[in-house]
Amino acid sequence: MRIVMAEDDPLLREGLALLLRAESLDVVAKVGTADDVLDAIDTHRPDVAILDVRMPPTHTDEGIRAAVEARRRHPGLAVLVLSAYVEQSFATDLLTGGVGGLGYLLKERVGRVEEFLDALRRVADGGTAIDPEVVAQLFTRSRQDTRLERLSPRERDVLGLMAEGLGNSAIAGRLVVTDGAVHKHIRNIFAKLDLAPTQQVDRRVAAVLHYLENARRP
Amino acid sequence: MATRHNKSSGGRSGHGAREPFRETVAGSVSAALAALGQLVGGLGTAVLALVGLGCLVLTAAASLAGVGLLFAPAVLRGLHALAGRERTRLARHGLDIVPPEPPPTRLRPALADATTRRETRWLLVHATFGLLLGLLGLLLPVVAVRDTAFPLLWPFAPEGSTSTSLGFGTADSWAEASVVSLLGVGWIAIVLGLGPGMARLQARPALRLLAAGPDTDLSLRVAELTATRAAALDAHAVELRRIERSLHDGTQNRLVTVTVLLGAARRMVARDPAGADEVLERAQSAAEQALAELRAVARGILPPVLSDRGLAGALSGLAANCAVPCRTDVDLPERCAASVEATAYFVVAEALTNIAKHSGATRATVTVRGRGGRLKLRVEDDGSGGADEAGGSGLSGIRRRIAAHDGVLRLTSPRGGPTLLEVDLPCGS
Repeated sequence: MRIVMAEDDPLLREGLALLLRAESLDVVAKVGTADDVLDAIDTHRPDVAILDVRMPPTHTDEGIRAAVEARRRHPGLAVLVLSAYVEQSFATDLLTGGVGGLGYLLKERVGRVEEFLDALRRVADGGTAIDPEVVAQLFTRSRQDTRLERLSPRERDVLGLMAEGLGNSAIAGRLVVTDGAVHKHIRNIFAKLDLAPTQQVDRRVAAVLHYLENARRP
Repeated sequence: MATRHNKSSGGRSGHGAREPFRETVAGSVSAALAALGQLVGGLGTAVLALVGLGCLVLTAAASLAGVGLLFAPAVLRGLHALAGRERTRLARHGLDIVPPEPPPTRLRPALADATTRRETRWLLVHATFGLLLGLLGLLLPVVAVRDTAFPLLWPFAPEGSTSTSLGFGTADSWAEASVVSLLGVGWIAIVLGLGPGMARLQARPALRLLAAGPDTDLSLRVAELTATRAAALDAHAVELRRIERSLHDGTQNRLVTVTVLLGAARRMVARDPAGADEVLERAQSAAEQALAELRAVARGILPPVLSDRGLAGALSGLAANCAVPCRTDVDLPERCAASVEATAYFVVAEALTNIAKHSGATRATVTVRGRGGRLKLRVEDDGSGGADEAGGSGLSGIRRRIAAHDGVLRLTSPRGGPTLLEVDLPCGS
């Protein structure tokens, strides 16, 4: 897997590169600004771009804007955005261009290497990786939604993992249940929330995120 | 007997009803006495006001002949002094008057000055109306006592003299003398009922005319305070943003690096123990850097050395760490507000950094003096001068910080030197 990486903090940049290379992933370019990363993407055509949100010059949302621009220039480019803190508007900005091949994770998730690599592969394969923290915030905002109250606690767990972008078997693995049980939960959830059932994971993530995003207005 | 019995049996409930009545009576008596005191005190300043008014009229008349101009400044000073005395007197009665800015003492600006004119209007009203009320405040209790006690005095009064304070009627018998004492009770009622109102009436011109008027410089002061407050909030926001950024982009990144390296090391332990150890060492040094950055952020918020050793100790610490030999001379009789001391500390820190980096000086001096509620700070060096605020020397940040505290910064730095930085800060509290 060929990776372009943008992180303005030199120590963290080296640390990330060290970790990725130790997992025999190919870091083809590592840069420190949003402009440089757009150039590097144009030059190297990587499988995945890993971007920090806050980069020079303003240290606000350069990474988000670079991600949106890179995906506009190269449709289908997989982008994983790493952020120091969760900002709902960043997630919304990112997701408006479609959820396929998109990730938005808190920086410290990288330390849980296996889960991070799992998310990275999922994004590279055109899937989605949304940080549990983002999903938790969406749940908090949509708590007035009466249809969500119809879900059982286990169904809410499944809904959260779906929103993070996990597939059926990954959800089954996390909750230590069978694939069949997950399948049944998902069917119930879609019925209770009046969503059209689909087996395609990225369309399912889009539907769930869209639902949670809009459910906050009672 | 029956009444007394009733009273004692109903004592428990009656007691509660009597207390408020007694309190009301005691309250109105003490209010009336206070009002009389205030009126008589007002009589004192009113008599002075009458004298002052006379002087003023005489001076004005004499000024037409030219001679009066010699006395005019003295009369004006007398007017301001009297107005000041009236403010202090009313403050003793719980009526606080915000004094205006001191009026000009030179004749021409004084005549155009709103404060002087308002004080003159007060002088006129107080010398007449205030005098009248003051006299009433003095006479009313006297006649009240005289008439009430008239039955006692009557036997000794000369035959055919006027019996009432009103100046008519004579009492020729005990019964008639008793009627006069009823009149006295009426006087007492008037004192109780009208006394406080009269006192308020007498004080009103002073409250209206001796306070800083809406058209005086107070509006300027308010505008200035609003601006500095906005600057303070602005400087505060900039400060908070700086702290947020150094936490998110500095300390947090260091800690993320630690977790990333720890994660990598855990994956390497089995297949490459030596490599894992190397990564662990990098993780440790990243953690140490996080700690150092955290210390720097905390010190940037409020240097702990200030509370430990005071401004003098903190500044000599800065001087000792300066690459250019630096002498400090701090004379602060008492401590200033923490934010003011912190500002002074950061000013000196920035100034010494600039001196060490840019000036080429061979020595520097830091002088701090605290006098009259102000902190005066001087940083001098014998360097090449030419310090420029626009040159990104951090001076503009310092200036904002000082403006936020209502202070002033002056920088004198001609090419060729020397450089002098002067800061004047209100100590605040």
